[in-house]
Order: sequence, then structure tokens, then C-alpha cells
Amino acid sequence: MKISTKGRYGLRAMIDLAVHSRGEHVALYSIAERQGISVNYLEQVFSVLRKAGLVKSVKGAQGGYVLSEDPAEITVGNILRVLEGSLSIIDENAENSHDSITSIKRCIMVHVWDKMNEALNDIVDSLTLESLAENYRKITGIEDTMYYI
Amino acid sequence: MKVSTKGRYGLEAIVDLAAHSTEGHINLKSISERCGISEAYILQIFLVLRRAGIVDSIRGAQGGYFLAGDPSEITVGDVLTALEGPLVPVACIIEGDETSCDRYKSCATRGLWESIKHALSDVANSITIEDLVKCYRSSLAENRELEYYI
Repeated sequence: MKISTKGRYGLRAMIDLAVHSRGEHVALYSIAERQGISVNYLEQVFSVLRKAGLVKSVKGAQGGYVLSEDPAEITVGNILRVLEGSLSIIDENAENSHDSITSIKRCIMVHVWDKMNEALNDIVDSLTLESLAENYRKITGIEDTMYYI
Repeated sequence: MKVSTKGRYGLEAIVDLAAHSTEGHINLKSISERCGISEAYILQIFLVLRRAGIVDSIRGAQGGYFLAGDPSEITVGDVLTALEGPLVPVACIIEGDETSCDRYKSCATRGLWESIKHALSDVANSITIEDLVKCYRSSLAENRELEYYI
């Protein structure tokens, strides 16, 4: 049960973008450099994020990416679901045997998998990109210099 | 981020074993038949669970498998961890593995993954095999009532 590279790198790149953008477009190569992710890979991830409407891009010399919305309006769940699909602890196609009420499977579904999914989705839906960005600023000592310049 | 077949089948087989253990030691064939999982696969799973001290077995005519502890003291977390390893959404936060990533200290997402890990473990550790056996038994009883009325 792992979040894929796409989800992990994509989320980190979105946090980086939230921290460094401050309304300006950010070039992918600068995110790539700071986060140690290849530009090629970021291009793939950002093309998915753009199609989902989470980021916008501008071409040209001053071009790059910017968040479509206020990071306080984007949840971690929004980002991860775009990159990973629905967040479930089990393969939903494999366990749709709600057919028999006597089955042990059904008890496990209701008491274990549904509960674990609930816990997982509660966390990602209650956390915003802004709160992760804020935390990242603290860890790395990056000030929100927007107000000081 | 999925629990594998091993974890899903293993949990089902353990609940089946616990539910039928009043009948003495259970052979894998009967679990295999009731759960619709191949006997070879259940054997593979039970070897892991025996090493983890969750089930034990006795050879011979009356032999078979049984739970090594009380079902009220074996949690879903014990079974899943034995079969799947630590319940983590990403590998880099497995304890003792801090060196696997040079961004460990400055990672923007580590806190998130750790809170997911804790939430999943909390849920898994709060449900016992006995809870699931009770659910199974009451669903059997409901079903019997239902058949009676039909």
C-alpha cells in the first residue's frame, strides 16, 4: 500500500510551487532543481495537474506554472486524487463482494477497509496545500518575503 | 497504496480460522473451501503468520492450525503488519530507514505521510479478530432468521 512516485513527487512539486510562486510563474526547471526531480518527469506530472485545473501555464521567456487557486483552497486530497485516482487502501475491483451478507469479506470491508479509507481520506481532505507550504517554509527557513520587499 | 492480496486473503482466512476454532484444529483445506482461496496460497500465508506467532499448528490425524493467542488480543494490525510489513503510505518513513533519503529532514511531505501512517495503524490496531468473528456470527444469525421468514 504505497502512494506512487507520481503522487509523492507531484505533491512536493505543488508545495514548492506554492512556496516560490507568490503570484509569479515558476519555471519547471527551478522546481526540478530545488526538489531533485527530473524536468521530464515534472512535465508529465504538471500536464496532468494542468488538465485537472490545479495549475495554469504560460509559454515564453517569463513563462512557467502558477497555481490556479489560492493554496488555502486546494486540499491535499484534490492533488493526490488527480495523480493517484481514488484513495483506497484496497483494490476496489477486487473486493466488491458485498453480495453475501454472511461473508467474512463483508465484515472486513465494513469494519476494516471502510474505516481505514475513512481515516485516510479525512486526513487528506482536511489538509490544505497552504498548511503544507507553511510547514515547509518553517522547515527550510524560507520566509514569506512577499511582505518584506 | 493498496493492501495486497496476501493481506486481504490472510485476514479473511484468520477470521475464518477463529470463527471455526470451536471445532478443534482446523485444516487448511476447509478454510480453502469456505473462503474460495487456493490451499497452496493459504499455506504460504499461514507459514508467515506462524513465524509471526499469530497461528500455530499441530501435526497428525487431529492436527491442523489454531490461533496462537486469544482472538480478542490479536488485532487486524498484527495480521496485516505480519503479512504486508509496516502500514505506511510511502517507504521512506519506515522506522530505522531515515538514511534512505537525503531529504529526510527537509521533506515537505514527511509529516503528512507520518500522520497517515499513524491514522491507519490506529484503525488497524483498534479492531480485533474477535470483533470480526462477532460480526460474522451475527450476520450468520441474521441470515438464518431471514431464511426462516421466507
